[in-house]
Amino acid sequence: MIQLFHITKSFEGASALSDISLKIDKGEFIFITGPSGAGKSTLLNIIFGSEPPTDGQIILDGRNYFKIPRSEVATLRRRIGFVFQDFKLLQTRTVFDNVALSLKVMGVGPREVRNKVLRMLSFVKLQHRANFKAMSLSGGEQQRVAIARALVKDPAIILADEPTGNLDPALSIETLELFKEVNSKGTTVVVASHDKNLIERFGRRVIRLENGRLVSDGR
Amino acid sequence: MAGSLKGANLFYIFSDAVRSIRENLATTVLTALTLGFSLSIFAVFVFVFFNLRSVINSWGDRTQIVAYVKDSPDAALMREAVMRVPGVSSAEFVSKDKALSELKAELKGHEAILEGVDENPLPASFEIRVGGSYKNPAELTAVAERLKALPWVEDVQYSREWVEKLSAFFRFIELAALFIGVFLAAATIFIISNTIRLTVYARREEIEIMSLVGASDSFIRVPFFIEGVLQGLIGGLLALAMLAGGRLILLSKIPPYFSFVVSSPISTPLLALILIATGIFMGVAGCLISTGRFLKA
Ligand SMILES: Nc1ncnc2c1ncn2[C@@H]1O[C@H](COP(=O)(O)OP(=O)(O)O)[C@@H](O)[C@H]1O
Ligand SMILES: [Mg+2]
Repeated sequence: MIQLFHITKSFEGASALSDISLKIDKGEFIFITGPSGAGKSTLLNIIFGSEPPTDGQIILDGRNYFKIPRSEVATLRRRIGFVFQDFKLLQTRTVFDNVALSLKVMGVGPREVRNKVLRMLSFVKLQHRANFKAMSLSGGEQQRVAIARALVKDPAIILADEPTGNLDPALSIETLELFKEVNSKGTTVVVASHDKNLIERFGRRVIRLENGRLVSDGR
Repeated sequence: MAGSLKGANLFYIFSDAVRSIRENLATTVLTALTLGFSLSIFAVFVFVFFNLRSVINSWGDRTQIVAYVKDSPDAALMREAVMRVPGVSSAEFVSKDKALSELKAELKGHEAILEGVDENPLPASFEIRVGGSYKNPAELTAVAERLKALPWVEDVQYSREWVEKLSAFFRFIELAALFIGVFLAAATIFIISNTIRLTVYARREEIEIMSLVGASDSFIRVPFFIEGVLQGLIGGLLALAMLAGGRLILLSKIPPYFSFVVSSPISTPLLALILIATGIFMGVAGCLISTGRFLKA
């Protein structure tokens, strides 16, 4: 489903990723781990198409890209649920609107949007915050809005960048259980996290990055 | 553009535009005001230019040729011949007697000068005006030459210098107006595009987030487009209201013979149409150009 060939990325000469080759199968659940600055976010952004690699190639759904062409970016992004490390919520809009946005851009009708959004908000335990503005929520609540927005569209792929960074251990586990459930229905899940306990607890494939290099790949 | 606008989208797009105008009411109003002021300043300039031009043209109407004629033949016949000269638009006969009485009127209080003159020394004449395209100095000379060729015309007088000065002055006014007009238009466009850019810049994060969750360019643009149309519409109407109001105030403050200055060179409905269309065009162009900057990335 996702294949990376010799992906290299540098920012103004400073290397962030070097020569990463990786194959993620459809329906897989994998963790990307490594210390801060190792290149986890950069890797996810390259898969998402929001950051072009400096060198290398990506195969997504059997199609080969260097840089995903602009005309296909929007279509591709509708199939990927991305949980951003910094949430990227519309701060002045309500929780409901934020989650609804990812369905609206796909042309889903108002009634279906309403049903799906409210159900998803109850999954992340935010149904009572539906009409609150995003900026009035705590960090952990905002993170769950970001998760709800990524999951509500039943994406083919979930890319989550430190999705539990602002959550307490109990909520972290619940969130990953949610990902597991989505994964069991066929969605490919890629989670970047440096939380060793959490990763060990779930016992999935783990890719470890250090200084932009892939240092281990396994369980 | 990635992704087409499906039926269900139109509902969101419109309600989004309405909501976004409500949320950004202050900037929407500011942009509309800027548009309104800029458009009316520009319109005032265009009015003043056209009105000045028609004033200068009417001065040109006064340029006359005076043809002095021998006394004898019939005035009506002579007038016909003068009128047949190409370029002559009117000719008024001034008889010897009329010339003398006009002179007496002008010399009021100094009639002594005329004492001892028992015979009327003044010749009869025609005061001639030339039509529009003959007002430039070269054509005027040609008309004068043709008049001089008439057998009973003794002399022709016209002020070539005055005509030359007038047309040079007019060329200068036109050039100055062109310069000021271009400058004003550029300033107007600059101010408007800057205002719109600021409002879009304030919302670049919104644009970025929408694009990150998979919104097509058109999905992102259409609300801005609708806002642009509305801002332009409001701006155009504001300009119209300001012009109409300003005109009424001026009319009550200035002497009536000066009121031509505030008259519109075009009909009011046409003026309204032009102002609103220009407003909408600028609003839309501004929005599309400035959202384009953020969508290209
Ligand atoms: N936009 C950017 N501009 C410059 N350097 C960047 C940018 N994004 C990331 N980097 C650098 O690339 C390296 C990897 O960063 P990142 O992928 O965010 O690591 P992680 O998510 O594993 O903490 C870091 O050294 C970081 O400073
Ligand atoms: Mg990171």
